[in-house]
Amino acid sequence: MAAKTKHASLDKRKARSGYFFVLPFVIGIVAIYLPILIDSILFSLNNFDYQHLREGSLPSLNWNDFECFRKAFQNTSFMSALWESLQNLLFQVPAILIFSLFIAVVLNQKMLGRAVFRAIYFVPVIIATGLMDSINAQDVMTAMNEASTTVATTATAGGSELLSAMDLMELIDTLPIGSGLVEFVVRLINSVFDIVNYSGVQMLIFLAGLQSISPAIYEACQIEGATAWETFWKVTFPMISPMILVNAFYTIIDSFTRNNSAVMLFISNNVEDYSQQTAMSWIFFLIVFLILAVIGGIMSTFIFYQRRD
Amino acid sequence: MPTIKKDTKNKIVVDYEGKLSFKDRTIRKFKASNTWVKIGINVCRFILMLGVSFIIIYPFISRIASSFMTKEDVVDSTVSLIPKNFTMDTYKYLFTENHYAEAFLHTVILSLLCAFVQTFVACLVGYGLAKFKFKGNKLVMGAVIVTLVIPHSALKISMLQHFSHFDIFRVLSWDYAGLLQLFSGKSIELTNTYWPFAILSICGLAFKNGLYIYLMRQFFKGVPDELEESAYVDGSGVFRTFLQIIIPLSVPMMITIFLFSFSWQWTDEFYTSMFFKSTALKQIYMMPDVYKDVPLSLRTNYAGASLYYSVIKNTAGLMIIAPLIVVYLFCQRYLVQGIERSGLVG
Repeated sequence: MAAKTKHASLDKRKARSGYFFVLPFVIGIVAIYLPILIDSILFSLNNFDYQHLREGSLPSLNWNDFECFRKAFQNTSFMSALWESLQNLLFQVPAILIFSLFIAVVLNQKMLGRAVFRAIYFVPVIIATGLMDSINAQDVMTAMNEASTTVATTATAGGSELLSAMDLMELIDTLPIGSGLVEFVVRLINSVFDIVNYSGVQMLIFLAGLQSISPAIYEACQIEGATAWETFWKVTFPMISPMILVNAFYTIIDSFTRNNSAVMLFISNNVEDYSQQTAMSWIFFLIVFLILAVIGGIMSTFIFYQRRD
Repeated sequence: MPTIKKDTKNKIVVDYEGKLSFKDRTIRKFKASNTWVKIGINVCRFILMLGVSFIIIYPFISRIASSFMTKEDVVDSTVSLIPKNFTMDTYKYLFTENHYAEAFLHTVILSLLCAFVQTFVACLVGYGLAKFKFKGNKLVMGAVIVTLVIPHSALKISMLQHFSHFDIFRVLSWDYAGLLQLFSGKSIELTNTYWPFAILSICGLAFKNGLYIYLMRQFFKGVPDELEESAYVDGSGVFRTFLQIIIPLSVPMMITIFLFSFSWQWTDEFYTSMFFKSTALKQIYMMPDVYKDVPLSLRTNYAGASLYYSVIKNTAGLMIIAPLIVVYLFCQRYLVQGIERSGLVG
């Protein structure tokens, strides 16, 4: 009995020391993040004088009765930017997931020059975040103003025009497939550069997931006479499914926190009022959050967890 | 039918009646093992991987090529990759007139600071979340996810407001009936210093820190508890165990996180342009400032100026990421190693 109580207190003491580990984060959340968050929500709900704010004086609450939000919904160009971003999101997420899973599976196999390929494929992880995008985003604007020649594509746009979309369109148009599919494929090929560049982290996460699958399972499959196709769908795919959810979330979050999405560009370039900017950001966030919830809900029914704890 | 003959006391010889010649046997083996299919698959796979590598590398090649072009070459449609008039002027003027050296120094300091602090904090918080079942563990994990999900552009103005009039006691920047002014002493202006980055990093709230904490937590979940238990039995405390056993164990993963935070901080534009204002008396140049303006000596009234300017900006982009590529070449095997050993599950 005595030994048991002592054991319990040791456990408790150990659990309590966990607080020290998370302390910096908790302090940060309470003292910095939450105030910033609440402020941001208040900014979008109140009229205030930005000049006062800049001088450091405390603005008083001046409830604006959701005016910024109503304005945002009435702004047609904002709504179309929003719509474009969401369409882009729904198009890119499956494309990035499929591509990164495929590449991760291939990179996991033994093949000639695997180390070199791995080094090349993870270059976008390090480099592609933001900076080059925003340089090119500016380029697109300048290029639109000027009738650009073919040099523009070689000098700036890089790999986005590897294959002439028109040729492909003509080819597929003659085939008896629905025009929606044609559009999807053409879009896929035109944005292959984006897809490759945005799937770096996802590839890494998938690769890590693939590495953590026990080789004993594959051995058993081989002995039972399963083909590579069957092994992929019956073993690799279920085992990797938690990673698919993680990557879907990561892709969605990454694509809307990126500065060059249509909505973010619209907000930073076309909107002057700070309350309005904040309100629009919140609207976009709420919509994406809903998408996250729906996707999470749907996908979690298909996910297979090897061990539950 | 093969016949078995006894050769010596302990050895038997198997003799096939219709024993095939070496050549025939090789041919049959070749046919049976569908080597052609294997070779075909390998070749296809190799070509595919090569193609995708090309997509990744080609923009860099074309940017490097165009960075050596003069403005005549840029608009000349007969010049595609090899410049006719080779010039280093773009690099020269970007280096001298766009404060490259200064920006480089500042960015190295900032990125190293952020990377070290963020890696350590992510390690600490991740370990706390993975291994200790204290009250509110799930809540803290939820908070981590929330910081990851909420876009920082929605928080931009209030964040700027907080750090330009930083006062730990003044929690909100709104005056609720003047109550808060009781506490607030003098606020400090922290913009144009490294402090906002340091504070955000220490609290694990900076750019993508939620992801680092999540990755670290998943990594520590894969570390067997027995390891720590044996350390506790040997009389080591929680913190000593963490410092002497857990940290050395997690070095590959920490290198991965370090590489992430270093390189993402390096190319970050959102925070640096927010906290280092160009209106300041003494502007602190960061890497993204290098590409913002076209150097004065390169400005031109030329017809294809905007195209030429975009080439210059892309060259500036190349100069910004060049140090990162060097770092990456040295660290890339740790990146893959760290992730491979992380044992990420779910």
